[in-house]
Amino acid sequence: MTSHVPTVARKEFEDAGRSKLLWSLIGLLVGIVVIGYVAIWQTVDDTTAAEVLSFLGVPLQVILPVAALIAGYMAVVGERRSGSIKILLGLPPNRTDVVFGKLLGRMGVVGLAVGLAFLVSLVLGAALFGSVPFIDWLGFAAVSLLFGLMFVGLAVGVSASVSTRGKSMAIVVGLYMVFVALWELLTAGPYYLIYDEPVPVEAETWYLVLEQFNPLFAYSNLSTSILENSVYPFRFQYGLQEMQAAGMTPAERYPGDAPFYLQDWFGVVVMLCWLIVPVAIGYFRFKRTDL
Amino acid sequence: MSAIETTGLTKAYGDLTAVDDLDLVVEEGEVFGFLGPNGAGKSTTINMLLDFTRPTAGSATVLGYDAQAEADAISPRVGVLPEGFDIYPRLSGRRHIEFAIKTKGATDDPDEILERAGLSADDAARPAGDYSKGMRQRLATGIALVGDPDLLIMDEPSSGLDPNGISEMQDLVRTEAERGTTVFFSSHILEHVEAVCDRVGVLNEGELVAVDTIEGLREQFGGGATMTLTLAGPAAEVRSVAAELQGVTDVTASGRTLECTIADPAAKARLVTALADAGATIRDLRIDEVSLESLFTALTNGDVDDSKTQDGPADAIATEPEVAR
Repeated sequence: MTSHVPTVARKEFEDAGRSKLLWSLIGLLVGIVVIGYVAIWQTVDDTTAAEVLSFLGVPLQVILPVAALIAGYMAVVGERRSGSIKILLGLPPNRTDVVFGKLLGRMGVVGLAVGLAFLVSLVLGAALFGSVPFIDWLGFAAVSLLFGLMFVGLAVGVSASVSTRGKSMAIVVGLYMVFVALWELLTAGPYYLIYDEPVPVEAETWYLVLEQFNPLFAYSNLSTSILENSVYPFRFQYGLQEMQAAGMTPAERYPGDAPFYLQDWFGVVVMLCWLIVPVAIGYFRFKRTDL
Repeated sequence: MSAIETTGLTKAYGDLTAVDDLDLVVEEGEVFGFLGPNGAGKSTTINMLLDFTRPTAGSATVLGYDAQAEADAISPRVGVLPEGFDIYPRLSGRRHIEFAIKTKGATDDPDEILERAGLSADDAARPAGDYSKGMRQRLATGIALVGDPDLLIMDEPSSGLDPNGISEMQDLVRTEAERGTTVFFSSHILEHVEAVCDRVGVLNEGELVAVDTIEGLREQFGGGATMTLTLAGPAAEVRSVAAELQGVTDVTASGRTLECTIADPAAKARLVTALADAGATIRDLRIDEVSLESLFTALTNGDVDDSKTQDGPADAIATEPEVAR
C-alpha cells in the first residue's frame, strides 16, 4: 500500500501557503528580527552579532508558539467541520495519510518561516554588526526550529483529537497559557503546600523534573547553553519560588552533578515528547472516530 | 461478486438507530438508486460504506473488500461524491482534479475530467472558494470520476443543481453505466432516480422497506395504471365486460365514467377493443400511471410496519386522488 503522506503534505503546504494569516505571521516573525536588529544597532554600542542573537530568544518564545499553534490547530478539525475531509478520505489517502500529511505540510510552512527569519538575522548580523557567529546561529536556529515544529505537532495533534474548532482552540490556547502563565502556580503551588515554604533554588528533584518539562523552559535553557548571553524563559512569576531560581536551569539548581534528565540537552527530548505525544493521541483518536 | 453488500448493517447513536439491520446487495454494473426521505439513514449507510462512520453491528463489503478492514483497497477503485462535503477554497478547481489524479495514480487528462463534469477552463483556473454550490457539486463529481472507478458512490448528487444540471448529472450517470461502472446513488427526490436507475432500494427510518426495479415496484404496489374512460352511454351497462377481462383488477362505474385498474399493460388495448365490441362508444380515454412519488409517499409514510403485514401499501396509493404523472 503506497503512502499518500507526501501528496497530502504538498497539498497542505500549497493550501496553507495561500493563507493570508500565515503570511502575516511569517511577516511578523521576520519583522521582529529586522526591528530588533536595527533597534539594537541604533541604541547599543559595542555589541557583537552573537550577543544580538540571544536578544531574539524572548520574542521567539511568544511568536513561534503562537504562529505554530495558529498554523496547526485547525489542520484536521477544520476539514472535519467544513466537510472537505470527505473529499480527501473519499480518495485513496486514509486517515493516517491525512494526519501525517497535514503534520508535515504545516511543519513545512512554519519551518519555512523560521528559516526565513533566521536567514534575515544572519544577513543583518553581518551587515550591522560585522560578524557571522555561524556556530551559535546554526545551533540556535536548529533549537528554534524544533521549538516551532513542536508547537505545530501539539496543535495538529489536538486538531486531530477533537470534533469542533472551538475545542481545538480552547485546548491549544489553554496549553500555551499553562506553559506561560500558570506553570508556577501549578508546580510551585503544590510544592508550597507540601513543604510549607517557597521553592528554594535547590528544590526537590521532582520539581526540577517538572520545570524541565515545560517546553518554554526547555527552549530557553537550550538556547542559553548555545548562545553567549542568557535567554530567560518567558513566564509569569507569582513569587512562589525564590527570586534567583528564576533565571537558573534545572541542571544549575541541582546540587552536585545533575542526572541526564535534568541536563540542558535533555530539553531536546522534552520538546520531542511535546511533539510526539499529542500527535500520537490525536492520531489514535482520529483513527477511531466517526466523522 | 457484488459491488456492494451489507449484512445486518446497523448504526446506533445512543437510543437513536440511524440504520437498522440493513441487508442490501448491489450487483456489479447496475445503477442502483437509494431512496428515502431526509433522515432515513441513507448518508449514514453510505458513510459506513466509505469507512467515514463505523457500524455498531453488522458489516459491509465494497467491491468484495471489507469496508472497514480493507478500506485502503476500496478507495482507489471507487469514485465518491460525499454528502456535506466542501472543497479547498484556496486551491483552483484544476488543482483539485490534479490532486485526485495524483492520489489515484491515474493517467487522466484534467481538462477532459473537468469537461465531463461540466466545468469550463476559466472556472477551473479560479480558486474553488469562488464557486457556486452547483459548481462545487460539479467539481466534486469530477473528482469522483478520476481514475475510471469501478463503482461510483454518490450521496445526493443532484443537490444544489438546477434542472439543467440535474439532467446533465443523469446523462453522466448513464454514460458511466455504459462504460460498465456500477453506480450507487442516493436521493430523496424520486424523479431524479427514476430516470436512470435499474433498481431502487427504499429506506425509511433506517430500515429497507422495498428493493426492486421501478417496474417491479409499480407492479408490486401500484397495480400498474388506472384507465379512466368516458363513454357515450351509462357506464354501468358495460361494467361486467371490463371486469371479466384478464389483467383488469378493479372496475368502478359512475355515470358515464368507467374507472379500471390495470395490472397488465397489455390489458389496456384489450379493454378498449372489448368495450368497442360490446357496443360502447368511447368519447375519451385517460391513462394514469401510478406515480412513483405516491408510491414513495405510501412506502415512507410511517405506517410501513402496518402496510407490510397487511395488503401492502397499494391501498394507500389507490386512495390517493388524481394519481397523475
